[in-house]
Amino acid sequence: MSKINSEIEDKVMTRIKTEEVTMKPRWYFVVGSVFMLLGLVSLTVGSIFLSNLTLFLLKQHGPMGQWRLETLLDSFSWWIPALAILGMTIGIMMLRQYDFSYRKNLTLVVLGFLASIIISALLIDHFGLNNLWSQLGPMKKFYQQLENKNTTPGRMQNGSGRFRNRP
Amino acid sequence: MYIKLTKMTDEEIVRQVQKGDKEIYARLVKRYQDKLIRYATYLVGDYHLASDVVQETFIKAYVNLNGFNVKKKFSSWIYRIAHNEAMNVLKKDKKVFPIDEQVEIESGVNLEEELIKKELKTQTQSCLQQMPVIYREPLSLYFLEDKTYEEISDILRIPTGTVGTRINRAKVMMKKICQK
Repeated sequence: MSKINSEIEDKVMTRIKTEEVTMKPRWYFVVGSVFMLLGLVSLTVGSIFLSNLTLFLLKQHGPMGQWRLETLLDSFSWWIPALAILGMTIGIMMLRQYDFSYRKNLTLVVLGFLASIIISALLIDHFGLNNLWSQLGPMKKFYQQLENKNTTPGRMQNGSGRFRNRP
Repeated sequence: MYIKLTKMTDEEIVRQVQKGDKEIYARLVKRYQDKLIRYATYLVGDYHLASDVVQETFIKAYVNLNGFNVKKKFSSWIYRIAHNEAMNVLKKDKKVFPIDEQVEIESGVNLEEELIKKELKTQTQSCLQQMPVIYREPLSLYFLEDKTYEEISDILRIPTGTVGTRINRAKVMMKKICQK
């Protein structure tokens, strides 16, 4: 056993001394952590935005939208909730890399993460930020494109009860 | 110098290596190789394979040493790397490894006591090998490596509550297996 042990020590130290293996620099880990944090924050913000956009588009179909399910399914921009779900999934995978994810109950951490995204999306919707963004600022064009895709004549706008084209 | 080295904590040695003193890394290898080989043997069931795992563990630890936070415990970190390496080996080769008889016991007080210890250890290993790895690991870390629940939690990256549950289940399992 001791022979094998000294072999291990010799092999490891030889590879280190001959610089066959070298230490990754500190900046590599710093950059990695920064990117990881930025990635997680971007994914969270992106997921909130996309979840909120999903709510916005659902509301566009107005009350009784559930009775026009077929129309809704035809015109709905499915890539938005799909991207939101993808963002949440990658976010959860990234959360698992952090120490707190195993120190705390992972199920609770994941549920907390998902709940915070959904609640934030609902709050944005509740305070009417969507309507504001669809009328002003850099997001105006994007919202207009989505509105055009998702609205047909006679359909209500923004769930506000106003008709775009009254017959 | 030697006395100074033996008194240094793992984290102090890591700090020195991070500053560029490569030679001192041998001290960490010396400190952990026996423990890690024993631990890896419990996991992969083969002494020679375990020594490969440990060698790779020390290399990976060195490569990533700048990523180690010296405020944390080095032992948990290196055991975590060994765990990952052993899991990679187990995934690559899913066959059940035979129990290696070559694992020696450090020279003890007398021969009779040593024989009893050896017998107990062989029996324990035999029982351990029949257990699923998720129970084998916390049990060996707790009883054979004297790790605390917190340390096991850090090594296996599972909550301390889960560590407790797995150890309790493993004890029941071990009792059943060993009494067969």
